[in-house]
Amino acid sequence: MPALDYLDELEARTIFILREAFSCVSPLAMLWSIGKDSTALLWMVRKAFLGEVPFPVVLLDTGMEFEEVYAFRDRLVAEWNLPVANEACPPESTVDQTLPPAARHAARKTAGLRALIAREGYRGIILGIRRDEQAIRAKERIFSPRNADGSWDPRSQPPELWEYYAYDVPDGAHVRIHPLLHWTELDIWRYTLREQIPYVPLYLAKAGKRFRSLGESNITFPIASNADSLEKIIAELEVTRDPERAGRAMDSESEDAFERLRTTGYM
Amino acid sequence: MKNVRIVMVGDVDAGKSTILGRLLVDLGLVTPAKLEELETSSSKRGVPIEYSFLLDAFQVERDQAITLDLTRIWVRTPDAEFVFVDAPGHRELIRNLLSGASEVDAAVMVVAADEGITLQTRRQALFLRWFGFANVLVAINKLDLAEDPRAAYNARAAEVTAFLDQLGMHPRAIVPVAARSGDGIVRPGPLTMWWTGPTLLDALGTLERAAVRTDGPLRFVVQDVYRRDGKRLIAGRVESGTLERGEFLTFWPLQTGARVLTIHQWPREVERAVAGSSVALELDARVFVDRGAVGSRATDAPELGHAAQTTVVWLGADPVRAGEALRMRLGTREIPVTLQKIEEAIDPDTLEPRETQELRSGDVGVVSLVARELIAADTHLAESSVGRFVLLRAGTIVAGGRIDAVVGHARGEGATNVVAMTSSVERRERTARNGHAGGVFWLTGLPSSGKSTVAMAVQRMLFERGRQVYVLDGDTLRTSLNVDLGFSDDDRSENVRRTAAVAGVFADAGFIVICALISPFAADRELARSAYPNAFHEIYVSCDLVTAEGRDVKGHYGRARRGELPHFTGVSSPYEVPQQPELLVDTASHRIEESASLLLEYIESHVRSR
Repeated sequence: MPALDYLDELEARTIFILREAFSCVSPLAMLWSIGKDSTALLWMVRKAFLGEVPFPVVLLDTGMEFEEVYAFRDRLVAEWNLPVANEACPPESTVDQTLPPAARHAARKTAGLRALIAREGYRGIILGIRRDEQAIRAKERIFSPRNADGSWDPRSQPPELWEYYAYDVPDGAHVRIHPLLHWTELDIWRYTLREQIPYVPLYLAKAGKRFRSLGESNITFPIASNADSLEKIIAELEVTRDPERAGRAMDSESEDAFERLRTTGYM
Repeated sequence: MKNVRIVMVGDVDAGKSTILGRLLVDLGLVTPAKLEELETSSSKRGVPIEYSFLLDAFQVERDQAITLDLTRIWVRTPDAEFVFVDAPGHRELIRNLLSGASEVDAAVMVVAADEGITLQTRRQALFLRWFGFANVLVAINKLDLAEDPRAAYNARAAEVTAFLDQLGMHPRAIVPVAARSGDGIVRPGPLTMWWTGPTLLDALGTLERAAVRTDGPLRFVVQDVYRRDGKRLIAGRVESGTLERGEFLTFWPLQTGARVLTIHQWPREVERAVAGSSVALELDARVFVDRGAVGSRATDAPELGHAAQTTVVWLGADPVRAGEALRMRLGTREIPVTLQKIEEAIDPDTLEPRETQELRSGDVGVVSLVARELIAADTHLAESSVGRFVLLRAGTIVAGGRIDAVVGHARGEGATNVVAMTSSVERRERTARNGHAGGVFWLTGLPSSGKSTVAMAVQRMLFERGRQVYVLDGDTLRTSLNVDLGFSDDDRSENVRRTAAVAGVFADAGFIVICALISPFAADRELARSAYPNAFHEIYVSCDLVTAEGRDVKGHYGRARRGELPHFTGVSSPYEVPQQPELLVDTASHRIEESASLLLEYIESHVRSR
């Protein structure tokens, strides 16, 4: 028998993680940013649970997403019969005003997530982040416990041996579950192509520009590219040296911007 | 293109992050903008360009020039994709190294030429051996600090070879490098001109991804049971071997078995699933299977026992001593265990075993564990998750371990927890200790309907799962407690009342009590319920009279038909069929094993403590 190929292996591991989360952490919800990663993850949720999505899928909505993103959401909710919930994020005036401007926009999502968890009492939140996206995320665990205020203490993370994860958190606290942590940007696109998973058309180049990473329309910028198909995106990524989140203003405003966002609870 | 995962080990200042930073820069994977940012961060802290900053993303890491937690770096060459896991060398952060090393194919050990093998390096090498690493590369770094790089390399290489030899480890290559200037990393440099062997990059190119064996013994680890369209689907992963549709699977440790009807890999059904696949199985019989079970072929099974000899790495902040009760996660099962004895610890200085009373954080030791339940484990199957485990203390992972041997089918002494049976113990405390709640499971049905047979089978299974369980059998009680009672309607009622009262006491004491009594009258059964109303379950063991009479285990039906038994239920006395039993077990159309599985599943779902 031939062994699993590389994408099969990544997928099987993600499904294993999702099933562990569903068996051991309750109540549970998943964040869906409607970008390529969490949409591919949603596809694997359906695989893990045989066509069903057995927990709520939440969009942290700042009202500032691209129009194409909202349209894509509505289409997929109907096609995949998703148990979707929209969580309106609090206004920017309520977040830490010492953060740089773009990071302040992003911090609205942290506040929205905190409100959601407090209201619904979720003990587990599934997120589609990856380690290769960003140097701080590279230090994440697959099951990452958060304090009651949602904050992350990266200096005292629990051991994560083989596939034994930290499920138990004190009351009021929660665990972030990251089933895509071991995937790369290239893996996601190769998998999206292979599985024919739908995606927001903004990723494809139009008039020499495309979005490589999707955030709020006011703090996300397209990159120069002629990749107008998934095949071309993959070819482009195979040779690029530019970081994926180059178009995300919040990451690079100051040296510690992303670290500050994440330790206070950003995704 | 191959994809290989590699962990970096070495002492805190050996230069692991610098080697990776240099690899990225010299392979041209860092943009000019990023290099500029690096120069800015470096000069801000008054240091020459610091390549490790490419990895060390936290402010405090850059300020103190150390790596705090695991990070991952992706490196793409024309022939391969590498994922490097960079683990910090601090003793107190050993959990990070272990976390990193548990998911990779190979290790690169970095030894600084000016320091040689430190205690920290010895300790880390012990972990690598403990993990069973076959692929280890060594980089002798900081040759730029040596007066004679070649002599420095030769001396350190001899030292490393001798040391690893003691551990039974054989590095694939020992390469000379100077990470700060880049010599020997991607290409040779002035400091390594004398070297005729591979650069670090060349040596990395010889590593392969660890393949899981699709031809090994079959292991299917159960994660959960889902219900879809009235079907039960056993969700889990094939960890070793290949699972074929149609074959017979035995699930351990309960040894229930059934044939695989379909293998679901939504949206498809497949004929087979190889090692690594996450699938869901539909079985041809409704046998008891739940999270934690391990499926195998009957002939190629994991080992069974109540105790295990193990090698562990202790990670807990506080030390551990013999006698401590912990929880073990083995595959997808969580089992209460007691650490019975610390046989020895390995001294990282001498690599010799030494006697000890306790294991401290970072110690590797050989310990025996005794379980309260039957465990199924693998001792020589690297890819099986029931060959390795973690220990938990108060819900936190405090050790990683490998099963070296499974011992003793009999229950060990160390697992016995004695509970003082006084009113000063609350029910919830008993539940917490037992890991399950008490309850009364009242089996009612015609004579020879199978009540006692099912009750005994389920008692055995529950006992093997570490549950406190007892069967109160109607016939048996009539020889002791109820010896003064006959079969008149009044005596039958009193029989039920007394049995229910005893059952209630047992249940209150935390036991799962299975009562097997004909109890023909609905009113009596309602009375029985009132003896333990918060957890009483009426279970109708259903069997038509013809079938029951055909069995006539005790010859009673024959005697009743001949008029010798005047009040025999079903023949000369009525049986009131339960109108709304909590569970119906049909023994006429199901095998005993299936009926027992159904009841077991029902009981387990109703005594669960969380």
